[in-house]
Amino acid sequence: MTFISTFAPSGGRRLLRSGFVMPAILVAIVAILVVAPLVRILLSTLTPAGIEAWQAVLVSPLSFNLWWRPLFNTMVLGFGVASGCLILGGFLAWLVVLTDVPGRRVLALMGTLPYMIPSFAAALAWGTLFRNSRLGGSAGFFETNGLAIPDWLAWGLVPTAIVLIAHYYSLAYTIIAAALSSVGADLVEAGQMAGAKRPRIFFGIILPVVTPALIAAASLTFAGAVANFAAPALLGLPVRMQTLSTRLFGMIETGQNERGFVLALLLIAVSALFLWMSDRLVSGRKAFVTVTGKGGRTKRFPLGTWRWPLFAVAVTIGLLTTVVPVLVLAASSLAPQSGALFSNWTLHFWIGEGGGEIAQGQAGIFRNPVLIDALWNTIRLGLVVALTTMLLGLALAYTIVQRRGSLLATILSQLAFVPLLVPSIAFAAAYIALFGAPIGPLPSLYGTFALLVIAASAHNLPFAVQSGRSVLGQISADIEESARLTGAGLLRRLFAIIFPLAIRGLFAGAILVFVKMVRDLSLVVLLFTATSPVLSMVAYRYAAEGFMQFANAITLVILIVCLAASFLAHGLQNRVQKWKES
Amino acid sequence: MNALATGAADAIEIRNLVKRFGAFTAVKDVNISVPAGSFLVLVGPSGCGKSTLLRMLAGLEGPSEGEIAFVGQTVSSGAGGVIADAGRRNAGLVFQSYALWPHMTVAGNIAWPLKVARWPREKRDHRVKEVLALLGIGALAERYPAEISGGQQQRVAIARTIAPEPSILLFDEPLSNLDAKLRIEMRSELMRIHRATGATSVYVTHDQVEAMTMATHVAVLNNGRVEQFGKPIELLRNPATTFVATFLGTPPANLLPARRVGETFVFNDTPLAPGSIAPGHGEVQLLYRAEGVSVGAVADKPSVTARFAEAAPIAGRTMVTAMLGELRITGMAEGYFSAMPGDPVTLSFIRTPDAVFAVSGERITQ
Repeated sequence: MTFISTFAPSGGRRLLRSGFVMPAILVAIVAILVVAPLVRILLSTLTPAGIEAWQAVLVSPLSFNLWWRPLFNTMVLGFGVASGCLILGGFLAWLVVLTDVPGRRVLALMGTLPYMIPSFAAALAWGTLFRNSRLGGSAGFFETNGLAIPDWLAWGLVPTAIVLIAHYYSLAYTIIAAALSSVGADLVEAGQMAGAKRPRIFFGIILPVVTPALIAAASLTFAGAVANFAAPALLGLPVRMQTLSTRLFGMIETGQNERGFVLALLLIAVSALFLWMSDRLVSGRKAFVTVTGKGGRTKRFPLGTWRWPLFAVAVTIGLLTTVVPVLVLAASSLAPQSGALFSNWTLHFWIGEGGGEIAQGQAGIFRNPVLIDALWNTIRLGLVVALTTMLLGLALAYTIVQRRGSLLATILSQLAFVPLLVPSIAFAAAYIALFGAPIGPLPSLYGTFALLVIAASAHNLPFAVQSGRSVLGQISADIEESARLTGAGLLRRLFAIIFPLAIRGLFAGAILVFVKMVRDLSLVVLLFTATSPVLSMVAYRYAAEGFMQFANAITLVILIVCLAASFLAHGLQNRVQKWKES
Repeated sequence: MNALATGAADAIEIRNLVKRFGAFTAVKDVNISVPAGSFLVLVGPSGCGKSTLLRMLAGLEGPSEGEIAFVGQTVSSGAGGVIADAGRRNAGLVFQSYALWPHMTVAGNIAWPLKVARWPREKRDHRVKEVLALLGIGALAERYPAEISGGQQQRVAIARTIAPEPSILLFDEPLSNLDAKLRIEMRSELMRIHRATGATSVYVTHDQVEAMTMATHVAVLNNGRVEQFGKPIELLRNPATTFVATFLGTPPANLLPARRVGETFVFNDTPLAPGSIAPGHGEVQLLYRAEGVSVGAVADKPSVTARFAEAAPIAGRTMVTAMLGELRITGMAEGYFSAMPGDPVTLSFIRTPDAVFAVSGERITQ
């Protein structure tokens, strides 16, 4: 992939310069996107007002409520969700990869779906079913039907943790399943030849080999839970259960920016600390490379009489975390009384005209101009961010791969991965710190669509670089060089060789970014304003004001957009690269 | 070592063994038995069923029909499946991929099977040191598999397999991932280890040179069937089928189709052999080893003219391959020989055919 040398004889000087300009631009972009906001938010807390905020948060009568209590809740959520995800995801991965459970393909698909559903969808569905009358307003489905729901199951930590587990376990599943399928049958059979029994093989060979993946899964789900805003906000805030992310949101929303910034920095520290520790644990000599056997065969253990019962358990988990929430949301968006999910269905919340008795006279979502605006905005945001992210990712990955080993490449790749350590809501706070006020001649970007795009692109940078690298990895130097030996010029090679090979990876990455943006709440919740509404935010507003049916209907719209994008991607992928049909 | 002591029963006895995967029959009615201390090589092209046969010997697959007995004890049968578990048949398997456990050090890999077998700690440590020394990899004991080279991984895999002192050693194409030089080195190494341990060994390969150099017994497999079983020299001397005749031996032997004209077998108008070598046959295939074909005309010997294709010097002589239509004929020239591809070359058949085969491929005994 060294384009430059091709041209070297003719225009060496010009390209020498462009060989320098490109990395310089990239360093500048990454610096502005990643470093500047973080430096700025840190500096904002070092002003006199900032120091005061540090004191208020850490050492004052307020600090119990501002910091310790939310920290405790956040930690409980983080550890609870990480262990729940390991258990559920690990169980499913074990079942799918290492046993002869029936319907393996279906289970594998179900294991990956929950991550496509936004966490606030599950939170809203939980509320629709379990909400009790303690806080006034209409009760949920169970209580309306005579089943008393205790407070701990309706609000607070327990339901938040359950909802987050239901969302993040599929992340753990994906990681663990990939690791398990890299344990070649040969490794297991070598154990069998040594005379080891199944438990001994499991604990002596399989488990240690996948331990790095387990740690990675635990730390990523931990970070996800700690950073999540939607679930604790919807299920915790009504009973004043605060996590660091909801506290941070509350501070900035009420104009106490410095305190918000302090909390954002603390949240970053907590999340980064755990990710860093897990990285320490698995790096070095312990990061074993598995030598896979013939065709990556995996050994499947017979389950005997447990085949069908375990299949039933797995299907139940899958249904409860994918189909059931969607059905609940759908039923709720049709039911005029939120407790009676299945009676008097009406399309009012979708297309009804305002002014009636239902929903305090509010019109259905498709008659609401704000919603149409938000739908358009959301799709535009998804598309633009997908494009900028993939382009930036490809350019960065190309520069990093080409200059492997140089200081520049190291700096770029390290910087590009920094956003991984920063919870998105804290990242948004940093962007407010940087762009909340005019910078020199530049106007304040706060509340503009542009700021959303910039912040989202920066937040997706680690993913972008990673997928850019994997895309480039598909095109070996040999392939490119053999094309060059035929005498094909750069453009010709670009369109005939590189583009067709890269398009699928680029496309898959772009779709993921699109879906992530469409269902994101925690990044946009701080950056959104009335002039740039997005769907998830509108849904959150409706839910906060108690219009559950509207919120549920909009969430369904988000789901449909995400699903449509995924199916479209799937269809197109098989069309563009026919030789890879699987 | 244990196996040597036992008396009459063969160390490995395979009777009427069949293995089916669905409608596909991978191993068809195999019968082989070898005495203790033998080195049995299963050789054949890829997909011939040799690895499946080995996995059945290891106890990783159960047979569909037939029986496997180690030292008179039935360990697997079509009726009973895997009777003695993989771990309980006193056999060790060296995997093609080495299958080293990536999370254990070299010493850990070797020690683990001993731990499973509940060897006391002292004996275990001693044995680990012993096999490390035997394979010459003592310096690598504390490394992880990912930190050593392919050849070293191979040695670790062998060390791990012989550590529990199994009486039967199984090898699944162990040298196929090594480069040519290392392969020859490891070949001698394996033979040394075989002598040192005295374990009965079964070795799967597609490389006939490995088979010929290492084996005390060879089974040539093709399409799941044993084409021929015997000592390597015996197979070279008396191949039972054209497959064995052309698969074994360096350089490869020539097989010429011949037609009976009167009392003579004729190949392309060249009378080659008297009709008495295969009474009652109208068409036959005549086997000529390369050393029976001489480059250049020889008085009183039948000859053909072919187009030169390639030449390779071997031990002071030159192996010359020429094309006669679609047929490759390999002969030997004294000293060095070279020509331009396409040049006419005269090849003389200086000996009577080494063997005669029917058109179907079976040997016609004279």
